[in-house]
Amino acid sequence: MPFLARRLGFYVAAFLVAATFNFLLPRLLPGNPVDVMFAQAGTALPPESLEALKSTFGFLDEPLPVQYLRYLASVFTWDLGLSVKFHPLTVGEVLWASLPWTLLLVLASAALAFGLGTLGGIAAAWRRGGWLDSTLAPAALVLQAVPPLVTSLLALSLFAVTLKWLPTGYAWEPMLDLGWTWESIASVATHAVLPVTTLALAQVGGYLVTMRNSMINLLGEDYITLGIAKGLTESRLRHAYAARNALLPSVTSLAMTLGAVFGGALVTEVVFNYPGLGYTLYQGITARDYPLVQGQLLVMTLAMLVANFAADLAAFALDPRLRRG
Amino acid sequence: MLRTLLANPKAAVGAVIVGVFLLLAVFGPWIAPANPNQRVAAPHQPPSAEHVLGSTRMGRDVLSQTIHGTRTSLLVGFSAGLLVTIIGVAVGVTAGYAGGRVDEGLNLATNIVLVIPNLPLMLVLASFIGQAGPFVIAAIIGLTSWGWAARVVRAQTLSLRQRDYVLAAELLGEPAWRIVLVELLPNLTSIIGFTFIGSVLYAVTTEATLEFLGLGDPLAVSWGTMLYHAQSTSALLVGAWWEIAAPGLALVIFGAGLSLLNFALDEVANPRLRTLRVPKAVMKAALSGRTA
Repeated sequence: MPFLARRLGFYVAAFLVAATFNFLLPRLLPGNPVDVMFAQAGTALPPESLEALKSTFGFLDEPLPVQYLRYLASVFTWDLGLSVKFHPLTVGEVLWASLPWTLLLVLASAALAFGLGTLGGIAAAWRRGGWLDSTLAPAALVLQAVPPLVTSLLALSLFAVTLKWLPTGYAWEPMLDLGWTWESIASVATHAVLPVTTLALAQVGGYLVTMRNSMINLLGEDYITLGIAKGLTESRLRHAYAARNALLPSVTSLAMTLGAVFGGALVTEVVFNYPGLGYTLYQGITARDYPLVQGQLLVMTLAMLVANFAADLAAFALDPRLRRG
Repeated sequence: MLRTLLANPKAAVGAVIVGVFLLLAVFGPWIAPANPNQRVAAPHQPPSAEHVLGSTRMGRDVLSQTIHGTRTSLLVGFSAGLLVTIIGVAVGVTAGYAGGRVDEGLNLATNIVLVIPNLPLMLVLASFIGQAGPFVIAAIIGLTSWGWAARVVRAQTLSLRQRDYVLAAELLGEPAWRIVLVELLPNLTSIIGFTFIGSVLYAVTTEATLEFLGLGDPLAVSWGTMLYHAQSTSALLVGAWWEIAAPGLALVIFGAGLSLLNFALDEVANPRLRTLRVPKAVMKAALSGRTA
């Protein structure tokens, strides 16, 4: 399957570009980030952490190509250096600990938005120009323009602070020992409602419009007319004939949108003090924790690449033309 | 085409919204009731006749800050949007028209820019640069976000390139620059406009996001820094919702105006999307196999 092999090669190249960017940036900008961090760390760091920081950035007395290879080797063995803000922990440990919470928000909101948006798009396209279409489509567009930053702040203000229906922050009740009990799961779920809904709200419009437009384009095709002539039932025509083929652009955009959702999740987490990557990162940024900030770029890129590969597999399943190579 | 656009109610509403914000951005300092950086009220006063949108914890007038912020936010939005469009069109047209090796290289670069997540990348850049002023933020957004623009423009250029009139121009021996400027670009106008409006929208919200995360210059007055100060003074938790609502709604309304404009532009450029109402009875009859 040359298609999938080509995609994999591309993903390796993309990851290398992100890592190279991380390597070059501190060298291209004036000033030595290690000294800046050391001066701003606030607490007295032991001398060995200065050495550790220097080696994290590869600022060793070696020629540049050797530094670069060393850096790449450490990245591919997932040695991202020590965090400044969360001092004894390594960047890898800090990021792995907060990644599951971000994945929860991203995946739950993407699933919710994709489901609702696609169903809405099918319904709107089927009766294009009808009341549903003329309310849903513009509403979706306006929704798409609303950044998660604003929705999450307004939702926090309305539902958590004013109405007190839902908690104002954090991922579970602080009094609770987290485990696989109903109480824990319920607590995590209620704390996730606001972040997940606000994130989904930012995505749903995109899926709705994509699905509606590609469905409308398909409904003009001859095979649909043929289907009508053959006397197929409405639901068979709508779902098995039109929607199945119209789904392809939505699946592709699902993977591309995930990058934006990760970005949105960063912000949502800061608003709700949700202990995922974004909130950790926010603390890192305020403390000038460069290794942490750089590490998150690699983790986020990796997540994007995995999502894109999953979308490739889905496209492979949906579109027989790809299988012929 | 312009007439079709103006006859479209979505375009009209969008144009009015964007126009009002542009006026605010230009004439803001004369309209705003107070200096945005001066203590003119008691801290956290709710909206009243004197301070229509209330005051911040530092006793600044929220309405004045929102009006002043319009200028910064729009300036960043439009300059970053312009940068995205210029890079995107340059890369997309070159790749689509040149083809071959050049296309392969540029397309690979575009795909890599698209697959590396934008906001995390900008966070790394901005945090190394330190407290970034509005124009540095505009440059960061412009340089990292041109992927979509390049992809869309390239696709359209590829399809235009196959047309007979381009072939005719080539056979007549017209130079490449003339074919690009005279034959291709005019036919890309609607897609370039679409890209520009979309990029402005993206840039305005991204600027606010970066500033909210504390990567902006806290002394600049913009919608993003207003949200940042509101968050860092726990405005919401003490019930000062107006401090969030004013810049938040400004972002939402301006964004809605831009996307209405874009929606209308899409309908004009793609006639298939223009809604032809199919009466329910006709649809039913067609589906049940009878003639209407």
